[in-house]
Amino acid sequence: MRYFLQRLLQFVIVFFLVTFGVLVFMRIGLNKPGDPARTMLGGTATDEQIAAVTKRFHLHSNYLTQYWYWLKGMLTFDFGYSQPNNLTVTKYLKPRVLPTVFLGLYATIGALVIAVPIAVYQAYRRDSTYDKVGSFVSFAFVSIPALVLAPIAKFIFIDKLEWFPRLSSKVYPWDSIPEHFKNFFIPAMVLTLPLAAVYVRLLRADMVQTLQADFVTLASAKGVPPGRVLWGHALRNSLFTLLTNVGVQLGGLVGGALIVEQYFNIKGMGSLLVVAILSSDIFTVQSVSAILVATVVIVNLLVDLSYAVIDPRIRHARALS
Amino acid sequence: MSLESKNRNVSQAATRELKGPLLELTDVKTHFKTPRGLVRAVDGVSFTIDRGKALGIVGESGSGKTILSRSIMGLLPPRATVRSGSIKFEGREIGNLGRKEMRHVWGKEMAMIFQDPMTSLNPLMKIGKQIAEPLQIHLGMDTVAALATAERLLQDVRIPEARRRLQQYPHELSGGMRQRVMIAIALACGPTALFADEPTTALDVTVQAQILDLLEEQRKERNMSLILVTHDLGVVAGHTDEIAVMYGGQLVERAPTKVLFSNMKMPYTEALLQSIPKIEDPSHTRLMAIGGRPPDLVNPPKGCRFAPRCPYAREKCENEMPELEMADNNPQHMFRCWYPVGSPEYFESKERIDVEHAQAGVTVGEVS
Amino acid sequence: MTLTADPELLDEPPTPEQPEVSVKRKRGRPKIGMWLGVAWLSALVFCIVFANSLPFIRLYDTKIKVGGKTGRYNLGPGWTAWFGTDASSHDVFARCIYGARVTLTVGVVSTVIGLVLGGALGIVSGYYQRWVDRLGSIITDSLLALPPLLLALLLVYRMDDLKDVYTWLGWMDRQWEITLTLGILAIAPFARIARAQTIALRDREFVLAARSLGAKGGRVIGREILPNLVPAMLTVAVTGLGILVAAEGALAFLGLGVERPLTWGKMITDGTKDLKRAWWATMFPCFFLFLTVLSFNLIGDRLARRFDIREAAI
Repeated sequence: MRYFLQRLLQFVIVFFLVTFGVLVFMRIGLNKPGDPARTMLGGTATDEQIAAVTKRFHLHSNYLTQYWYWLKGMLTFDFGYSQPNNLTVTKYLKPRVLPTVFLGLYATIGALVIAVPIAVYQAYRRDSTYDKVGSFVSFAFVSIPALVLAPIAKFIFIDKLEWFPRLSSKVYPWDSIPEHFKNFFIPAMVLTLPLAAVYVRLLRADMVQTLQADFVTLASAKGVPPGRVLWGHALRNSLFTLLTNVGVQLGGLVGGALIVEQYFNIKGMGSLLVVAILSSDIFTVQSVSAILVATVVIVNLLVDLSYAVIDPRIRHARALS
Repeated sequence: MSLESKNRNVSQAATRELKGPLLELTDVKTHFKTPRGLVRAVDGVSFTIDRGKALGIVGESGSGKTILSRSIMGLLPPRATVRSGSIKFEGREIGNLGRKEMRHVWGKEMAMIFQDPMTSLNPLMKIGKQIAEPLQIHLGMDTVAALATAERLLQDVRIPEARRRLQQYPHELSGGMRQRVMIAIALACGPTALFADEPTTALDVTVQAQILDLLEEQRKERNMSLILVTHDLGVVAGHTDEIAVMYGGQLVERAPTKVLFSNMKMPYTEALLQSIPKIEDPSHTRLMAIGGRPPDLVNPPKGCRFAPRCPYAREKCENEMPELEMADNNPQHMFRCWYPVGSPEYFESKERIDVEHAQAGVTVGEVS
Repeated sequence: MTLTADPELLDEPPTPEQPEVSVKRKRGRPKIGMWLGVAWLSALVFCIVFANSLPFIRLYDTKIKVGGKTGRYNLGPGWTAWFGTDASSHDVFARCIYGARVTLTVGVVSTVIGLVLGGALGIVSGYYQRWVDRLGSIITDSLLALPPLLLALLLVYRMDDLKDVYTWLGWMDRQWEITLTLGILAIAPFARIARAQTIALRDREFVLAARSLGAKGGRVIGREILPNLVPAMLTVAVTGLGILVAAEGALAFLGLGVERPLTWGKMITDGTKDLKRAWWATMFPCFFLFLTVLSFNLIGDRLARRFDIREAAI
């Protein structure tokens, strides 16, 4: 319990630091008269507009005060105002959250679904042709940046073969499953395959090591069939590196999503963010960053806790500490 | 296939009738293909063991004793392993069976316990489940029955609070208790042969005796053969009926225990015995170690494999491999030596050595 | 964009009783992978360095005329222009080479920045522990909390503005902005591995021996710990180079890349609109990017196996 609180505290500190940093960073250098409101409003703002905005968002106070107000707003789910778009951030954000969430979910789950069986079988049949081919392919996919995979996928499947629509319209599963599938499949694949490759490499390494352990030999020597040894005994003991990385990869996933959304024209949080940064949409940037940071932090915390769930030794050690 | 024995009582195994030896090895060889060449880990070993008897296989690291026991059970990874020779278990040839077939034998008829109980038990699985597993697989028991049997097994191996232990994890138990759990797992389905691979090496001395006694007790109760593989002569001294000494992948002496200790023939056995410190020796007695290193198993010497380290070795020893022969017309006592303990050449060499020691001012029993 | 180095574990050395089983494993995987990587990179570097003098590399701005006219994508891959021409009749191949110049320079310099700063952070964290370690891990966690590409976007974009205000920053052109940004991104991975290795080394006998002789912290770090960190850091650096190169491409794609000369990322972006018509303008830069990242990964992987760096140790 104490351990959990310690970690939580550390994460909370990080959250504040980072979000404050974002706030400050978005504002420093905007020193022209009327800034930051002037920048937010764009070139054609009148003085009254600037003054109004400045007053409304306390943009003349020092950074800490501004941070305080922003934080207060966040707690009440008031994410601020997106000036360039003339919408509250919440309204701006709402329609775009789901596509990104879908992408992220499909990528992570898809990657795991693909990776785990491949890696387990690779470790079981170590050094066989299957293993070697698998390692080769996963290495190749690890090395393909999203920026390379996306054009290739687009070229083959969208332009040449025309199996999938060119511009991904935002179709939710509850509207039409086949359409949803058609629109999301290629973008999700572009994210899933390299991620799956990373997972395969990690899991295979751990499994290979686990399979050399004494208790695996003992399990076989008890007469346990190989399938059960692999999945019931060995797998559970090999999950740690994989689990650690699910948290780490989250950050990379967002980056990938940024690219994929731009490339396949998906109106999700990623493309929103890019536009927001490039147009100095301060509040949007702050709020979306905060959401992302919070997500990363929470996921890392969950991963940390899951160690205790899987490994009773850690559970007991933490209970004692 | 194991469902046919669903109703089989565990203790029935003890009363099964058997003619002939339980385990019969004939010229068993186990070689490994490595980049350096063929490693002849086990190079032509033959022996038999009867039902309910205890055999000790003794040897230092690299003698091949562990590989032998794993080879008999068929636990070695099939890749790059070459096995030859005949292994008959209860009259059936098992030496050529693959893992798939052996799986029906493992746990049910032959079981093994390993050296380090900490790493041999799955750290993430409850004890009860690990014991219940072979029961469910081989005897088709359901979970409730299996756990009940597991509890009884824990009591058999003298673990207090058996029911509570079922729900615990390996790291919550002491080393000795973990080893008992391993024994419980091995005994679960009532095997007729139990291989114990260095069962006490990782344990405290006080616990060692308890574990050995436990094994002995279970062996007698279940009429089960016990094969004790160890480097420690002390372990086999009080707990075996017969001892087989291995060196360099070969069997170099085999005799009933009492006979071996009183009338050993092979100098290696003598050296092993001498290296055990005795409680009667005065303090600071120099320990008699066997100098040199085990032989290279890829290119073993063409003569006797112990010759390079044998204090009594002569030319013939280095050039010709001695065959196994009977000692004193006792078919139960075989050894492999040209000039065994008790032969005239032996005494000659011994005198020479004693003279050398005296000249160098070294005696056993003197402060050095 | 992934941030992990994921090497494979070596076999455990065999115990005396149990020899190795797999013959092929012992010889080590054929090193052909690494040498291919080295070959590609060497060829690339050679072309970059001597670009201006090599006959088969046209100068950056040359337009290729077909039938006396310039036009969009007037030439496909062939003898005249190996990789065809782009939207402004420039030689795609030449542009790839010049783009490589920027990309590789940015990659190397930012890796060095990350290595030095991150390494220092990690070593200090690992060596002095307690509150220093807490502080260090807060910094590292903070750097990792924001998705990397997002952080990069923020930094590069704002740096443009900052330049106007703080004129002493005026020397920074876009290339430097990107370099510094990527350098900052690289700090966290280096810090982590440096910290992990330092902690492991700190309690080893030779370090304790040095300290018992009275050596002060700095000296111990410099003479005992640093040299032993080299393999791990080198491995992360090489694999990290691949990642940073990909990141540079991503930045260019999102509009914040180097403008002149064009880097691969920008070329890919520009060519995407006409992918169906003129695939060569996009595919060849893709190909270059892939091969470069692959090469770094191959070499990094080989290093990781050689030095037995495990993912779990990070």
